[in-house]
Amino acid sequence: MIEVEHLSKHFTLRAPTGGGGALRSFLSRERRVVRAVDDLSFRVGAGEIVGYLGPNGAGKSTTIKMLTGLLVPTSGDLRVDGVVPWRARRTYVARIGAVFGQRTTLWWDLPVIESLELLGHVYRVPPGRLRSNLREFGELLGLGEFLHTPVRALSLGQRMRADLCAALLHDPHLLFLDEPTIGLDVVAKERIREFVRRVNRERGTTVLLTTHDLADVQKLCRRVMIIDHGRLLYDGDLGALQDRFGGERRLVVDLAEAADVEVEGARVVERDGPRVTLAFRREDVSASDLIRRVTERHAVRDLSVLEPDIEGTVREIYEKNLLGA
Amino acid sequence: MLAHLGLYRRLVLAQVRSQLRYRASFVMDVLAVMVTSGAEFAAVGLVFASFDRVGGWRLGEVAFLYGLVELSFGLMDLVFGGFDPDFMGAAVRRGELDKLLLRPAPLALQVFGSEFQLRRLGKVLVGTLIFALAVSLAGIDWTPAKVLYLPLVVLGMIMFFGGLFVIGGTITFWTVESVQAMNVLTYGGLTLMSYPMTVYTASLRRLFTYVVPAAFLNYYPALYFLGRPDPFGLPGFAPFLAPLVGAFTLAAAFVFWRFGLRHYGSTGT
Ligand SMILES: Nc1ncnc2c1ncn2[C@@H]1O[C@H](COP(=O)(O)OP(=O)(O)OP(=O)(O)O)[C@@H](O)[C@H]1O
Ligand SMILES: [Mg+2]
Repeated sequence: MIEVEHLSKHFTLRAPTGGGGALRSFLSRERRVVRAVDDLSFRVGAGEIVGYLGPNGAGKSTTIKMLTGLLVPTSGDLRVDGVVPWRARRTYVARIGAVFGQRTTLWWDLPVIESLELLGHVYRVPPGRLRSNLREFGELLGLGEFLHTPVRALSLGQRMRADLCAALLHDPHLLFLDEPTIGLDVVAKERIREFVRRVNRERGTTVLLTTHDLADVQKLCRRVMIIDHGRLLYDGDLGALQDRFGGERRLVVDLAEAADVEVEGARVVERDGPRVTLAFRREDVSASDLIRRVTERHAVRDLSVLEPDIEGTVREIYEKNLLGA
Repeated sequence: MLAHLGLYRRLVLAQVRSQLRYRASFVMDVLAVMVTSGAEFAAVGLVFASFDRVGGWRLGEVAFLYGLVELSFGLMDLVFGGFDPDFMGAAVRRGELDKLLLRPAPLALQVFGSEFQLRRLGKVLVGTLIFALAVSLAGIDWTPAKVLYLPLVVLGMIMFFGGLFVIGGTITFWTVESVQAMNVLTYGGLTLMSYPMTVYTASLRRLFTYVVPAAFLNYYPALYFLGRPDPFGLPGFAPFLAPLVGAFTLAAAFVFWRFGLRHYGSTGT
């Protein structure tokens, strides 16, 4: 569905040559090139939810702007269903949806429902379809309580929900979300994740999502792409990422009575009375095997498996550029 | 095309509705616009308290120039408000243009439908009143041709000033700071066109005849309506260039707009 090959976007800035102000920098021949996106290649298939991660200034938004046809690439190939986004802007944007978390697409002074209806006309959504989508999304997102409130009076969480609804009214099969949970509280975030998951599952909508909240990724995405300085550092399975870089999973065992636990494929990392914490790697032993080995030898009151902390994993990748870029 | 007009109508109506929702503040806005606009003309009227003529023109004749350009500019401001460089500059910085580009409708149409401020009718109303005063004072010899040509002159000025707005708005794709220079041209032109060309120095007059053809938009048509001879001896068709000058300016402005959009696509905000 999305095919990106050797995609680059370079911005040329006139470097301020210290002092002299705007005119001086305007006149100065010195230029600095920012490689916001640098030789990026990837594919996204229909129905996927892909998490697009990277530290501030990594080039995530720039990528999304190219994918949505707002920016023209400096070089490289970019096609979505065979279409070059910026070449066929109007037909292309009719088939995609986009939410930029920092902004709203709605009319500031209009009640939410009027904004949504207006968008229905902009996208020429057939009236019946508009009504049924409004009903369905309105219910899932809980828009009812503020449908008649002007957008400027909405809370951030309400606004984001309304924006999500707006982005999907015309049944796009591809949805771009640039930091859709930014600034939201835990409950609001959860609601948005649930909604995105549902739209993906029930409508088969492909989703590309950027975020700084790794919980979004953990709850929504199988696949992640990590980018820094415009270059792709990792593209693959979230679980594999954790195995490869995040290291170990943990098994917390509450024994009936304190004992030494020794099992193959795992090592004890913590002991606290009857509670023993074991660390193990996915490739050495599966959680179920490990649990069986433990319960064969010991009387166990309770068990829990902890996945490695993705936050730490990703931080490590950002910091060390582990993948050897 | 029809669908586009339908969308434009909806975009405009939505704004009108939200502006009218706060009726009291809307009325205050309109009054404020009218008072400002009226006070400016009152200052012109004061000059005529001590002078019989200005640049050889009587009060009624100057009011003709003044009212016609005032009402045309007001109408332009209503329709082209989305392109107003001050508005466009802020919109570009806020990423509003991206928002419009993400929608499957012509961009210019959406910009036209993005800032329709009904309070601008205050200026139109004052302009119309001044124009009515002028017509009653100046004793115009109306012919069918004059009656038919008058709306074309207004249209010409709407297109001319609209073109200046589009050009200024496009400049904001590169820089927001340099827009002030464009504003000087637009609002300077508006003021300049409110008085007869005879009050200006020869060099200024030439500038606004041959370089920026503003004189053909209001002054020369006014000579025709008022039945005054042309002191500068231009060909007899000079009064009838207004619609052409307007259409040309607007067309050129939209060529520049397209160019600006290409630049926007390569740099973003
Ligand atoms: N229009 C522009 N002109 C010049 N430089 C730009 C422009 N847009 C982005 N950049 C630069 O390109 C780089 C990537 O920016 P981008 O907004 O894509 O990052 P991001 O990954 O979305 O970051 P964040 O997580 O902070 O949103 C940054 O160094 C930024 O300063
Ligand atoms: Mg960003």
